[in-house]
Amino acid sequence: MRRAMIKSVSDMIRDEGDTSLFLVDIGVWAFRDILRDYPDRAMNIGIFEDGMVSLAAGMALGGIIPTVYGISPFIVERALEQLKLDFAYQKLQGNFITTGASYDFSTLGYSHYCPEDLGVISMIPGFEFIAPGTASEFSRLFEQTHRDGHPTYCRLSDHVNKAGREVGFGKAAVVQTGSRATVIAVSTMLDMVLEAYAGEDVSILYYTTLMPFDRKTLREHYNGGRIFLYEPHYEGTLAHEIYKTFPDRPVQLSCVGVKREILRNYGSKEQNDAYSGMLPEVN
Amino acid sequence: MHDEIRQLRKRILEVSHLGHDGNLQSCFSSVEILYALYHGGMNWDVEKSLSPGRDYFLLSKGQSSLALSVVLESLGLFRPEEVNGFCKFGSRFSMQLDRTKFPEGGIENSAGSLGHGFPMAVGMANACRIKGTGNRIYVLAGDGEMNEGTMWEACAFAGGHGMDNLTLIIDDNDSIGRMLDLSPLRGKLEAFGFTVFEADGHDVKSLLSVLKLCRDVTGSPQAIIAHTTRGYGSRTLMSDNAWFHRSPDPEELGLLKKEVDAFEKGND
Repeated sequence: MRRAMIKSVSDMIRDEGDTSLFLVDIGVWAFRDILRDYPDRAMNIGIFEDGMVSLAAGMALGGIIPTVYGISPFIVERALEQLKLDFAYQKLQGNFITTGASYDFSTLGYSHYCPEDLGVISMIPGFEFIAPGTASEFSRLFEQTHRDGHPTYCRLSDHVNKAGREVGFGKAAVVQTGSRATVIAVSTMLDMVLEAYAGEDVSILYYTTLMPFDRKTLREHYNGGRIFLYEPHYEGTLAHEIYKTFPDRPVQLSCVGVKREILRNYGSKEQNDAYSGMLPEVN
Repeated sequence: MHDEIRQLRKRILEVSHLGHDGNLQSCFSSVEILYALYHGGMNWDVEKSLSPGRDYFLLSKGQSSLALSVVLESLGLFRPEEVNGFCKFGSRFSMQLDRTKFPEGGIENSAGSLGHGFPMAVGMANACRIKGTGNRIYVLAGDGEMNEGTMWEACAFAGGHGMDNLTLIIDDNDSIGRMLDLSPLRGKLEAFGFTVFEADGHDVKSLLSVLKLCRDVTGSPQAIIAHTTRGYGSRTLMSDNAWFHRSPDPEELGLLKKEVDAFEKGND
Protein backbone atom coordinates (compact mmCIF):
# COMPACT_ATOMS: atom_id res chain seq x y z
CA MET A 1 0.00 0.00 0.00
CA ARG A 2 2.90 2.32 0.71
CA ARG A 3 4.13 1.94 -2.88
CA ALA A 4 0.68 2.84 -4.18
CA MET A 5 0.66 5.90 -1.93
CA ILE A 6 4.06 7.01 -3.22
CA LYS A 7 2.89 6.62 -6.81
CA SER A 8 -0.42 8.45 -6.27
CA VAL A 9 1.15 11.33 -4.38
CA SER A 10 4.03 11.61 -6.85
CA ASP A 11 1.60 11.69 -9.76
CA MET A 12 -0.37 14.38 -7.97
CA ILE A 13 2.73 16.56 -7.54
CA ARG A 14 3.72 16.07 -11.18
CA ASP A 15 0.27 16.68 -12.64
CA GLU A 16 -1.33 19.23 -10.34
CA GLY A 17 0.64 22.42 -9.92
CA ASP A 18 -1.42 23.61 -6.96
CA THR A 19 -0.49 20.70 -4.71
CA SER A 20 2.35 20.17 -2.27
CA LEU A 21 3.92 17.47 -0.14
CA PHE A 22 5.54 17.74 3.26
CA LEU A 23 7.49 14.74 4.54
CA VAL A 24 8.29 14.56 8.22
CA ASP A 25 11.66 12.96 7.54
CA ILE A 26 10.14 9.66 6.48
CA GLY A 27 9.72 8.31 2.95
CA VAL A 28 12.57 10.54 1.81
CA TRP A 29 14.27 7.86 -0.27
CA ALA A 30 11.02 6.64 -1.77
CA PHE A 31 10.04 10.17 -2.80
CA ARG A 32 13.57 11.14 -3.90
CA ASP A 33 12.63 11.88 -7.52
CA ILE A 34 9.78 14.18 -6.57
CA LEU A 35 11.88 15.92 -3.93
CA ARG A 36 14.57 16.52 -6.54
CA ASP A 37 12.30 17.60 -9.39
CA TYR A 38 9.81 19.76 -7.45
CA PRO A 39 11.79 21.20 -4.55
CA ASP A 40 9.39 24.09 -4.02
CA ARG A 41 6.30 21.91 -3.68
CA ALA A 42 7.74 18.70 -2.28
CA MET A 43 10.06 18.88 0.67
CA ASN A 44 11.35 16.97 3.64
CA ILE A 45 10.22 19.80 5.83
CA GLY A 46 11.81 18.75 9.10
CA ILE A 47 10.65 17.29 12.36
CA PHE A 48 8.21 19.81 13.85
CA GLU A 49 4.77 18.37 13.33
CA ASP A 50 2.71 20.97 15.18
CA GLY A 51 4.18 24.05 13.54
CA MET A 52 4.33 22.19 10.24
CA VAL A 53 0.59 21.47 10.27
CA SER A 54 -0.13 25.16 10.83
CA LEU A 55 2.24 25.94 8.01
CA ALA A 56 0.35 23.46 5.81
CA ALA A 57 -2.88 25.27 6.70
CA GLY A 58 -1.27 28.51 5.57
CA MET A 59 -0.42 26.82 2.28
CA ALA A 60 -4.08 25.89 1.92
CA LEU A 61 -5.11 29.48 2.70
CA GLY A 62 -2.69 30.55 -0.01
CA GLY A 63 -4.24 28.22 -2.60
CA ILE A 64 -1.79 25.30 -2.50
CA ILE A 65 -3.31 21.98 -1.38
CA PRO A 66 -1.04 20.40 1.23
CA THR A 67 -0.43 16.70 1.68
CA VAL A 68 1.49 15.63 4.77
CA TYR A 69 3.07 12.21 5.28
CA GLY A 70 4.17 11.20 8.77
CA ILE A 71 3.93 8.61 11.51
CA SER A 72 0.43 8.34 12.99
CA PRO A 73 0.76 9.53 16.60
CA PHE A 74 3.01 12.45 15.72
CA ILE A 75 0.40 13.80 13.34
CA VAL A 76 -2.75 12.84 15.23
CA GLU A 77 -1.72 13.80 18.71
CA ARG A 78 1.23 16.14 18.59
CA ALA A 79 -0.54 18.28 16.00
CA LEU A 80 -4.10 17.69 17.17
CA GLU A 81 -4.83 21.32 17.97
CA GLN A 82 -3.53 22.34 14.55
CA LEU A 83 -5.72 19.75 12.82
CA LYS A 84 -8.70 21.01 14.78
CA LEU A 85 -8.22 24.77 14.63
CA ASP A 86 -6.19 25.37 11.51
CA PHE A 87 -7.90 22.86 9.22
CA ALA A 88 -11.34 21.84 10.52
CA TYR A 89 -12.30 25.18 12.09
CA GLN A 90 -11.14 27.09 9.04
CA LYS A 91 -12.69 24.53 6.64
CA LEU A 92 -9.46 23.99 4.73
CA GLN A 93 -8.41 21.20 2.40
CA GLY A 94 -5.49 19.10 3.59
CA ASN A 95 -4.43 15.48 3.29
CA PHE A 96 -2.78 13.71 6.21
CA ILE A 97 -1.42 10.32 5.27
CA THR A 98 0.02 8.37 8.15
CA THR A 99 1.98 5.19 8.46
CA GLY A 100 2.11 2.97 11.51
CA ALA A 101 -1.61 2.23 11.97
CA SER A 102 -2.28 0.77 15.43
CA TYR A 103 1.08 -0.90 15.98
CA ASP A 104 2.71 -1.66 12.66
CA PHE A 105 5.92 -0.38 14.28
CA SER A 106 5.38 -2.94 17.01
CA THR A 107 8.98 -3.08 18.20
CA LEU A 108 9.24 0.69 18.62
CA GLY A 109 6.82 0.71 21.51
CA TYR A 110 3.80 2.71 22.57
CA SER A 111 5.22 6.06 21.45
CA HIS A 112 4.84 4.86 17.86
CA TYR A 113 1.43 3.19 18.25
CA CYS A 114 -1.83 4.89 17.40
CA PRO A 115 -4.86 2.62 17.91
CA GLU A 116 -6.71 5.77 19.01
CA ASP A 117 -6.36 7.62 15.70
CA LEU A 118 -9.97 7.19 14.60
CA GLY A 119 -11.29 7.93 18.08
CA VAL A 120 -9.31 11.16 18.23
CA ILE A 121 -10.00 12.35 14.69
CA SER A 122 -13.69 11.47 15.01
CA MET A 123 -13.94 14.17 17.67
CA ILE A 124 -13.18 16.79 14.99
CA PRO A 125 -16.35 17.45 12.99
CA GLY A 126 -15.69 17.99 9.31
CA PHE A 127 -12.70 15.69 9.05
CA GLU A 128 -12.83 12.78 6.64
CA PHE A 129 -11.17 9.50 7.61
CA ILE A 130 -10.24 6.84 5.09
CA ALA A 131 -8.66 3.49 5.88
CA PRO A 132 -7.98 1.56 2.68
CA GLY A 133 -7.42 -2.18 3.01
CA THR A 134 -5.31 -2.60 -0.12
CA ALA A 135 -3.09 -0.62 -2.47
CA SER A 136 -5.73 -0.30 -5.17
CA GLU A 137 -8.23 0.92 -2.60
CA PHE A 138 -5.78 3.59 -1.46
CA SER A 139 -5.35 4.82 -5.02
CA ARG A 140 -9.07 5.07 -5.58
CA LEU A 141 -9.88 6.75 -2.25
CA PHE A 142 -7.01 9.21 -2.51
CA GLU A 143 -8.03 10.13 -6.02
CA GLN A 144 -11.55 10.84 -4.78
CA THR A 145 -10.61 12.84 -1.70
CA HIS A 146 -7.32 14.64 -2.21
CA ARG A 147 -8.93 17.81 -3.55
CA ASP A 148 -12.50 17.52 -2.36
CA GLY A 149 -12.32 20.62 -0.16
CA HIS A 150 -12.14 18.86 3.20
CA PRO A 151 -9.37 17.84 5.56
CA THR A 152 -8.82 14.11 5.13
CA TYR A 153 -6.94 11.68 7.32
CA CYS A 154 -5.69 8.51 5.64
CA ARG A 155 -4.64 5.54 7.71
CA LEU A 156 -2.08 3.34 5.90
CA SER A 157 -1.11 -0.08 7.13
CA ASP A 158 1.66 -2.45 6.06
CA HIS A 159 -0.70 -5.38 6.66
CA VAL A 160 -3.21 -5.44 3.83
CA ASN A 161 -6.01 -7.64 2.56
CA LYS A 162 -5.25 -10.09 -0.25
CA ALA A 163 -7.72 -8.72 -2.77
CA GLY A 164 -8.83 -5.18 -3.42
CA ARG A 165 -12.53 -4.38 -3.56
CA GLU A 166 -14.49 -1.88 -5.59
CA VAL A 167 -14.64 0.80 -2.95
CA GLY A 168 -15.74 4.39 -3.22
CA PHE A 169 -15.40 7.28 -0.82
CA GLY A 170 -18.25 7.45 1.66
CA LYS A 171 -19.71 4.11 0.66
CA ALA A 172 -19.46 0.71 2.35
CA ALA A 173 -19.05 -2.33 0.09
CA VAL A 174 -21.49 -5.22 0.45
CA VAL A 175 -19.34 -8.35 0.41
CA GLN A 176 -22.16 -10.82 0.98
CA THR A 177 -25.68 -10.91 2.31
CA GLY A 178 -27.07 -13.37 4.84
CA SER A 179 -29.76 -13.70 7.45
CA ARG A 180 -28.23 -14.62 10.83
CA ALA A 181 -26.06 -11.64 11.67
CA THR A 182 -24.43 -8.54 10.22
CA VAL A 183 -20.67 -8.39 10.26
CA ILE A 184 -18.82 -5.13 9.75
CA ALA A 185 -15.23 -5.49 8.63
CA VAL A 186 -13.18 -2.31 8.82
CA SER A 187 -10.24 -1.88 6.47
CA THR A 188 -7.48 -4.44 7.00
CA MET A 189 -9.75 -6.68 9.09
CA LEU A 190 -11.57 -8.00 6.03
CA ASP A 191 -9.43 -11.07 5.32
CA MET A 192 -9.69 -12.24 8.90
CA VAL A 193 -13.46 -11.73 8.84
CA LEU A 194 -13.82 -13.65 5.58
CA GLU A 195 -11.85 -16.53 6.99
CA ALA A 196 -13.71 -16.57 10.30
CA TYR A 197 -17.15 -16.45 8.70
CA ALA A 198 -16.49 -18.70 5.68
CA GLY A 199 -19.69 -20.56 4.83
CA GLU A 200 -21.75 -18.70 7.43
CA ASP A 201 -25.18 -17.22 6.64
CA VAL A 202 -24.25 -13.65 7.58
CA SER A 203 -24.12 -10.31 5.85
CA ILE A 204 -20.63 -8.86 5.56
CA LEU A 205 -20.16 -5.14 5.00
CA TYR A 206 -16.73 -3.68 4.29
CA TYR A 207 -15.88 -0.15 5.41
CA THR A 208 -12.92 1.87 4.15
CA THR A 209 -14.44 5.31 4.72
CA LEU A 210 -14.95 5.74 8.45
CA MET A 211 -15.79 9.46 8.48
CA PRO A 212 -18.41 10.09 7.30
CA PHE A 213 -19.72 6.66 8.24
CA ASP A 214 -22.09 5.12 5.70
CA ARG A 215 -25.16 4.54 7.87
CA LYS A 216 -27.40 4.05 4.85
CA THR A 217 -25.74 0.86 3.65
CA LEU A 218 -25.77 -0.57 7.15
CA ARG A 219 -29.45 0.25 7.56
CA GLU A 220 -30.33 -1.28 4.22
CA HIS A 221 -28.43 -4.50 4.85
CA TYR A 222 -29.13 -5.02 8.51
CA ASN A 223 -30.91 -8.33 8.86
CA GLY A 224 -32.19 -7.94 12.41
CA GLY A 225 -29.61 -10.17 14.05
CA ARG A 226 -26.59 -9.35 16.11
CA ILE A 227 -24.01 -6.92 14.73
CA PHE A 228 -20.35 -7.88 14.92
CA LEU A 229 -17.91 -5.00 14.49
CA TYR A 230 -14.29 -5.80 13.63
CA GLU A 231 -11.95 -2.82 13.81
CA PRO A 232 -8.15 -2.59 13.39
CA HIS A 233 -7.98 0.21 15.98
CA TYR A 234 -9.33 0.46 19.55
CA GLU A 235 -12.33 -1.83 19.86
CA GLY A 236 -15.74 -0.20 19.73
CA THR A 237 -14.56 3.10 18.25
CA LEU A 238 -17.36 3.00 15.69
CA ALA A 239 -20.00 1.85 18.18
CA HIS A 240 -21.45 5.35 18.37
CA GLU A 241 -22.02 5.31 14.61
CA ILE A 242 -23.69 1.90 14.78
CA TYR A 243 -26.09 3.05 17.49
CA LYS A 244 -26.81 6.30 15.67
CA THR A 245 -27.71 4.22 12.60
CA PHE A 246 -30.63 2.70 14.48
CA PRO A 247 -32.25 5.43 16.55
CA ASP A 248 -35.58 3.61 16.53
CA ARG A 249 -34.60 0.12 17.62
CA PRO A 250 -32.25 -1.65 20.01
CA VAL A 251 -29.31 -3.48 18.47
CA GLN A 252 -27.02 -6.05 19.95
CA LEU A 253 -23.44 -5.16 19.17
CA SER A 254 -20.26 -7.13 19.74
CA CYS A 255 -16.95 -5.35 19.19
CA VAL A 256 -13.61 -6.86 18.31
CA GLY A 257 -10.52 -4.69 18.01
CA VAL A 258 -7.43 -3.52 19.81
CA LYS A 259 -7.68 -3.76 23.60
CA ARG A 260 -8.21 -0.37 25.19
CA GLU A 261 -5.06 -0.27 27.24
CA ILE A 262 -1.52 1.07 27.09
CA LEU A 263 0.19 -1.56 24.97
CA ARG A 264 3.59 -2.63 26.28
CA ASN A 265 4.34 -5.96 24.64
CA TYR A 266 6.52 -5.20 21.58
CA GLY A 267 6.80 -8.38 19.47
CA SER A 268 5.08 -8.60 16.08
CA LYS A 269 1.92 -7.04 14.76
CA GLU A 270 0.35 -10.52 14.67
CA GLN A 271 1.27 -11.18 18.29
CA ASN A 272 -0.34 -7.89 19.29
CA ASP A 273 -3.46 -8.81 17.31
CA ALA A 274 -3.61 -12.12 19.14
CA TYR A 275 -3.12 -10.38 22.49
CA SER A 276 -6.23 -8.32 21.75
CA GLY A 277 -8.17 -11.44 20.82
CA MET A 278 -8.28 -10.50 17.16
CA LEU A 279 -6.49 -13.62 15.90
CA PRO A 280 -5.73 -17.10 17.11
CA GLU A 281 -2.73 -17.06 19.38
CA VAL A 282 0.62 -16.88 17.60
CA ASN A 283 3.74 -18.48 19.03
CA MET B 1 -2.61 61.02 19.58
CA HIS B 2 -4.08 61.15 16.11
CA ASP B 3 -7.81 61.92 16.36
CA GLU B 4 -8.82 58.96 14.19
CA ILE B 5 -6.89 56.67 16.49
CA ARG B 6 -8.48 58.25 19.54
CA GLN B 7 -11.86 57.47 17.97
CA LEU B 8 -10.82 53.87 17.36
CA ARG B 9 -9.91 53.42 21.01
CA LYS B 10 -13.20 54.91 22.16
CA ARG B 11 -15.07 52.66 19.75
CA ILE B 12 -13.23 49.63 21.17
CA LEU B 13 -14.41 50.66 24.63
CA GLU B 14 -18.01 51.06 23.45
CA VAL B 15 -18.15 47.69 21.72
CA SER B 16 -16.50 45.99 24.67
CA HIS B 17 -19.11 47.57 26.92
CA LEU B 18 -21.95 46.38 24.68
CA GLY B 19 -20.58 42.82 24.53
CA HIS B 20 -19.65 42.64 28.21
CA ASP B 21 -16.21 41.31 27.36
CA GLY B 22 -12.89 42.49 26.06
CA ASN B 23 -9.12 42.18 26.02
CA LEU B 24 -8.75 45.94 26.24
CA GLN B 25 -5.09 46.13 27.18
CA SER B 26 -4.12 44.00 24.19
CA CYS B 27 -6.40 45.90 21.83
CA PHE B 28 -5.10 49.29 22.94
CA SER B 29 -1.56 48.02 22.61
CA SER B 30 -1.95 47.27 18.92
CA VAL B 31 -4.21 50.03 17.60
CA GLU B 32 -1.47 52.07 15.91
CA ILE B 33 0.08 48.95 14.36
CA LEU B 34 -3.24 47.94 12.80
CA TYR B 35 -3.97 51.50 11.75
CA ALA B 36 -0.59 51.80 10.04
CA LEU B 37 -1.02 48.51 8.17
CA TYR B 38 -4.43 49.50 6.81
CA HIS B 39 -3.42 53.10 6.05
CA GLY B 40 -0.59 52.60 3.61
CA GLY B 41 1.50 50.01 5.39
CA MET B 42 0.45 47.25 3.05
CA ASN B 43 -1.26 46.80 -0.29
CA TRP B 44 -4.87 46.47 0.82
CA ASP B 45 -7.97 48.31 -0.30
CA VAL B 46 -11.38 47.99 1.30
CA GLU B 47 -12.95 48.08 -2.17
CA LYS B 48 -10.81 45.10 -3.18
CA SER B 49 -10.78 43.12 0.04
CA LEU B 50 -10.89 39.83 -1.87
CA SER B 51 -8.51 40.83 -4.65
CA PRO B 52 -6.04 38.02 -5.42
CA GLY B 53 -3.31 40.64 -5.64
CA ARG B 54 -3.80 42.01 -2.13
CA ASP B 55 -1.34 41.72 0.69
CA TYR B 56 -2.57 39.49 3.49
CA PHE B 57 -2.74 40.38 7.14
CA LEU B 58 -3.03 37.57 9.68
CA LEU B 59 -3.71 38.19 13.32
CA SER B 60 -1.73 35.72 15.41
CA LYS B 61 -2.34 37.43 18.76
CA GLY B 62 -6.08 36.90 18.69
CA GLN B 63 -6.66 39.10 21.74
CA SER B 64 -6.52 42.08 19.40
CA SER B 65 -9.48 40.81 17.37
CA LEU B 66 -11.76 43.60 18.59
CA ALA B 67 -9.19 46.21 17.56
CA LEU B 68 -8.98 44.65 14.10
CA SER B 69 -12.79 44.56 13.82
CA VAL B 70 -13.03 48.22 14.72
CA VAL B 71 -10.26 49.26 12.32
CA LEU B 72 -11.99 47.42 9.46
CA GLU B 73 -15.33 48.90 10.52
CA SER B 74 -13.80 52.37 10.32
CA LEU B 75 -12.76 51.60 6.74
CA GLY B 76 -16.34 50.66 5.88
CA LEU B 77 -15.88 46.90 5.58
CA PHE B 78 -18.17 46.09 8.50
CA ARG B 79 -21.44 47.78 9.51
CA PRO B 80 -21.40 49.35 13.00
CA GLU B 81 -24.82 47.87 13.83
CA GLU B 82 -23.38 44.44 13.26
CA VAL B 83 -20.17 45.08 15.18
CA ASN B 84 -22.36 46.22 18.06
CA GLY B 85 -23.51 42.60 18.34
CA PHE B 86 -20.04 41.77 19.67
CA CYS B 87 -20.09 38.52 21.68
CA LYS B 88 -23.87 38.06 21.30
CA PHE B 89 -25.12 34.58 20.38
CA GLY B 90 -24.95 34.14 16.63
CA SER B 91 -22.86 37.27 16.04
CA ARG B 92 -19.99 37.31 13.58
CA PHE B 93 -18.01 39.45 16.01
CA SER B 94 -16.51 38.21 19.23
CA MET B 95 -13.34 38.06 21.27
CA GLN B 96 -11.66 35.89 18.63
CA LEU B 97 -12.75 35.87 15.00
CA ASP B 98 -13.81 33.00 12.76
CA ARG B 99 -12.70 33.63 9.18
CA THR B 100 -15.42 31.39 7.75
CA LYS B 101 -17.98 34.02 8.82
CA PHE B 102 -16.44 36.75 6.68
CA PRO B 103 -17.00 36.07 2.99
CA GLU B 104 -16.38 39.75 2.29
CA GLY B 105 -12.77 39.33 3.41
CA GLY B 106 -10.80 41.29 5.97
CA ILE B 107 -10.44 38.39 8.36
CA GLU B 108 -7.82 36.15 6.78
CA ASN B 109 -7.43 33.61 9.59
CA SER B 110 -9.34 32.27 12.56
CA ALA B 111 -7.57 33.20 15.74
CA GLY B 112 -7.79 32.12 19.34
CA SER B 113 -4.99 29.79 20.24
CA LEU B 114 -1.59 31.45 20.36
CA GLY B 115 1.17 30.05 18.19
CA HIS B 116 -0.99 29.32 15.14
CA GLY B 117 -1.33 32.52 13.14
CA PHE B 118 2.36 33.09 12.52
CA PRO B 119 3.09 29.54 11.27
CA MET B 120 0.05 29.88 9.01
CA ALA B 121 1.41 33.17 7.72
CA VAL B 122 4.66 31.42 6.90
CA GLY B 123 2.69 28.78 5.00
CA MET B 124 0.81 31.49 3.09
CA ALA B 125 4.06 33.22 2.23
CA ASN B 126 5.41 29.90 0.98
CA ALA B 127 2.28 29.33 -1.13
CA CYS B 128 2.65 32.79 -2.68
CA ARG B 129 6.29 32.08 -3.47
CA ILE B 130 5.34 28.79 -5.13
CA LYS B 131 2.67 30.50 -7.20
CA GLY B 132 5.04 33.31 -8.07
CA THR B 133 2.55 35.97 -7.07
CA GLY B 134 3.76 39.19 -5.53
CA ASN B 135 1.61 39.13 -2.42
CA ARG B 136 3.24 40.03 0.85
CA ILE B 137 2.15 38.49 4.13
CA TYR B 138 1.98 40.52 7.33
CA VAL B 139 1.31 38.95 10.68
CA LEU B 140 0.89 40.46 14.13
CA ALA B 141 2.08 38.42 17.10
CA GLY B 142 2.41 39.24 20.75
CA ASP B 143 5.76 39.17 22.52
CA GLY B 144 4.26 36.76 25.03
CA GLU B 145 3.21 34.56 22.13
CA MET B 146 6.89 34.12 21.33
CA ASN B 147 6.94 31.65 24.24
CA GLU B 148 5.15 29.18 21.96
CA GLY B 149 7.45 26.63 20.37
CA THR B 150 5.57 26.76 17.08
CA MET B 151 6.61 30.41 16.67
CA TRP B 152 10.25 29.42 16.60
CA GLU B 153 9.57 26.42 14.37
CA ALA B 154 8.00 28.83 11.92
CA CYS B 155 10.90 31.28 12.35
CA ALA B 156 13.33 28.48 11.50
CA PHE B 157 11.41 27.63 8.34
CA ALA B 158 10.93 31.23 7.22
CA GLY B 159 14.54 32.17 7.92
CA GLY B 160 15.91 28.95 6.47
CA HIS B 161 14.03 29.54 3.24
CA GLY B 162 14.75 33.27 3.04
CA MET B 163 11.08 34.20 2.81
CA ASP B 164 11.36 37.88 1.98
CA ASN B 165 7.62 38.24 1.31
CA LEU B 166 6.90 37.81 5.03
CA THR B 167 6.86 40.47 7.75
CA LEU B 168 6.37 39.48 11.37
CA ILE B 169 5.31 42.35 13.59
CA ILE B 170 5.70 41.75 17.29
CA ASP B 171 3.50 43.84 19.55
CA ASP B 172 6.15 44.01 22.25
CA ASN B 173 4.20 45.25 25.25
CA ASP B 174 6.41 43.40 27.72
CA SER B 175 4.00 40.59 28.38
CA ILE B 176 6.97 38.30 28.13
CA GLY B 177 8.68 39.98 31.07
CA ARG B 178 6.26 38.43 33.51
CA MET B 179 6.71 34.88 32.23
CA LEU B 180 9.48 33.01 30.41
CA ASP B 181 11.45 36.09 29.51
CA LEU B 182 12.88 35.62 26.03
CA SER B 183 13.93 39.24 25.73
CA PRO B 184 15.79 40.61 24.00
CA LEU B 185 14.07 39.20 20.95
CA ARG B 186 16.20 40.97 18.38
CA GLY B 187 19.27 38.75 18.57
CA LYS B 188 17.19 35.61 18.60
CA LEU B 189 15.25 36.63 15.51
CA GLU B 190 18.46 37.60 13.73
CA ALA B 191 19.92 34.22 14.60
CA PHE B 192 16.91 32.65 12.87
CA GLY B 193 17.65 34.61 9.70
CA PHE B 194 15.36 37.62 10.08
CA THR B 195 16.20 41.18 9.19
CA VAL B 196 15.01 42.98 12.30
CA PHE B 197 13.70 46.51 12.69
CA GLU B 198 12.48 48.25 15.78
CA ALA B 199 9.84 50.94 16.00
CA ASP B 200 7.75 52.93 18.40
CA GLY B 201 4.59 50.85 18.19
CA HIS B 202 2.44 53.83 19.08
CA ASP B 203 3.89 56.10 16.40
CA VAL B 204 2.19 55.59 13.05
CA LYS B 205 4.93 57.46 11.15
CA SER B 206 7.63 55.30 12.71
CA LEU B 207 5.67 52.15 11.86
CA LEU B 208 5.04 53.22 8.26
CA SER B 209 8.70 54.02 7.89
CA VAL B 210 9.88 50.54 8.93
CA LEU B 211 7.10 48.85 6.94
CA LYS B 212 8.52 50.62 3.89
CA LEU B 213 12.01 49.42 4.76
CA CYS B 214 10.69 45.86 5.03
CA ARG B 215 9.42 45.95 1.46
CA ASP B 216 12.94 46.63 0.23
CA VAL B 217 14.52 43.67 2.02
CA THR B 218 15.47 40.77 -0.22
CA GLY B 219 16.50 37.27 0.77
CA SER B 220 15.21 37.24 4.32
CA PRO B 221 11.98 37.55 6.24
CA GLN B 222 11.62 40.70 8.30
CA ALA B 223 10.59 41.25 11.88
CA ILE B 224 9.45 44.53 13.34
CA ILE B 225 9.72 44.71 17.09
CA ALA B 226 7.09 47.32 17.84
CA HIS B 227 7.63 48.70 21.33
CA THR B 228 4.23 49.20 22.88
CA THR B 229 2.51 49.58 26.22
CA ARG B 230 -0.41 47.46 27.34
CA GLY B 231 -3.52 49.57 27.53
CA TYR B 232 -1.81 52.53 25.85
CA GLY B 233 -4.13 55.49 25.56
CA SER B 234 -5.83 55.19 28.95
CA ARG B 235 -4.09 55.76 32.25
CA THR B 236 -6.33 53.24 33.97
CA LEU B 237 -5.79 50.50 31.41
CA MET B 238 -2.05 51.11 31.45
CA SER B 239 -1.79 50.87 35.21
CA ASP B 240 -4.21 48.08 36.12
CA ASN B 241 -3.69 44.63 34.65
CA ALA B 242 -7.21 43.60 35.65
CA TRP B 243 -8.12 45.20 32.33
CA PHE B 244 -6.40 42.43 30.43
CA HIS B 245 -9.75 40.66 30.37
CA ARG B 246 -12.78 42.65 31.37
CA SER B 247 -15.23 45.18 29.95
CA PRO B 248 -16.29 48.58 31.28
CA ASP B 249 -19.63 49.15 33.00
CA PRO B 250 -21.50 52.35 32.05
CA GLU B 251 -19.68 54.48 34.59
CA GLU B 252 -16.27 53.09 33.67
CA LEU B 253 -17.03 53.55 29.99
CA GLY B 254 -17.48 57.27 30.50
CA LEU B 255 -14.33 57.52 32.60
CA LEU B 256 -12.18 55.56 30.17
CA LYS B 257 -13.40 57.54 27.16
CA LYS B 258 -12.49 60.74 28.96
CA GLU B 259 -9.04 59.33 29.63
CA VAL B 260 -8.63 58.54 25.94
CA ASP B 261 -9.70 62.05 25.04
CA ALA B 262 -7.24 63.54 27.50
CA PHE B 263 -4.35 61.24 26.66
CA GLU B 264 -1.33 62.77 25.02
CA LYS B 265 1.91 61.12 24.03
CA GLY B 266 4.39 61.65 26.78
CA ASN B 267 2.08 61.03 29.70
CA ASP B 268 2.55 57.28 29.25
